[in-house]
Amino acid sequence: MTDLDFRQGDQPIPGPQTTNLADILERVLDKGIVIAGDIKIDLLDIELLTIRLRLFVASVDTAKKAGIDWWETDPALSSKASRNALEDENRELRERLRALEPSADAGREKESEQR
Amino acid sequence: MTQPSDAQVTSSSAEAAVTYVFAVCRSTRATSALDLTGVTGMPGGEAVRLLPSGLLTAVVQTVPAADFTDEVWQGRLADREEIERYARAHHAVVSAVATHGPVVPLPLATLYHDDDRARSRLAEEADRFHTALKRVAHHAEWGVKVYRPATPDPAAAFEEPAPETDGGRARGAGLAYLNRKRGAQALREKRREQALDVAESVDAELRGLAAASRRLRTHGAALSGDQRVHVLNATYLVANDRAHEVGLLVRALGERTGAQIELSGPWVPYSFVGEV
Repeated sequence: MTDLDFRQGDQPIPGPQTTNLADILERVLDKGIVIAGDIKIDLLDIELLTIRLRLFVASVDTAKKAGIDWWETDPALSSKASRNALEDENRELRERLRALEPSADAGREKESEQR
Repeated sequence: MTQPSDAQVTSSSAEAAVTYVFAVCRSTRATSALDLTGVTGMPGGEAVRLLPSGLLTAVVQTVPAADFTDEVWQGRLADREEIERYARAHHAVVSAVATHGPVVPLPLATLYHDDDRARSRLAEEADRFHTALKRVAHHAEWGVKVYRPATPDPAAAFEEPAPETDGGRARGAGLAYLNRKRGAQALREKRREQALDVAESVDAELRGLAAASRRLRTHGAALSGDQRVHVLNATYLVANDRAHEVGLLVRALGERTGAQIELSGPWVPYSFVGEV
């Protein structure tokens, strides 16, 4: 299957099976209609996950320059760290990202509707 | 919840299982005829099934509660292979349902204590689901990424052979060096601007045939050694009867601009159901 996978018919069709993980993650994590669940799971946003998983690391160079190199020693990357450490880390990371990229939030979901 | 749930839960006890909701679609004949035997859903879960609730039908799965806690998921989110497994499993179910009609996907890991809870939440949000379903019906999402090809470092273009010297240091060598640096910087800047212009014009053209569009964050250079610079990551909601135009337009834009343009799709319109 290629990227250009045309199928006839009226129904939306699944994305190509070869779709890369980043493409899927940026859709299944941040998108979809959000209704409150009974069990709260903090999924991180795609950007944080990206850095943690080193998927398509947009901000690593920037972060490294700013001295954020926690992932080099992050226990969660090799073993399951304690819940508290992860929570702290997520919070800290969010703050740092915000400081590093003040325009990121404004630009990330720029949406234009037509018609 | 302290009260044990009845009927729906099979062998596992009520405390040990929760209801995972993948997506919501209309309660049509096509929906009820949906064959879900081919999808396995979340690892460790029971069979993926339909949960009708009036005019809407949820696609759900009973999953072990112990495996769907925040704590477990935090670990999962730190493990690339694990998150890939779960993300692809979620995507596979959503995609399978979409072959039978419009579907509104829910984000990964939307969970309820039991079927009744899921049903009642669905009922509360029925209007939003209907609006979203109406919006995405007969449409698909197409992802478009524009890359600026990797180019040699502009500094190289300004590397001139060292001027002949008579043993000593060349006169004006420092100045020449500065000029080279300045030239390389200007060229870099120019290329960047050109790439952004290309991104804008590609986006504008695609918006012309889309019902709606969204910009996503661009990706940095992949560790796979992808040195291309990602200048546009956008996604478009396109009517199915215009789907063939997307590929043609992307090809034409690629030829016209010289940029590398990647098209992915058709996707279930994940990016176009959230804001209703």
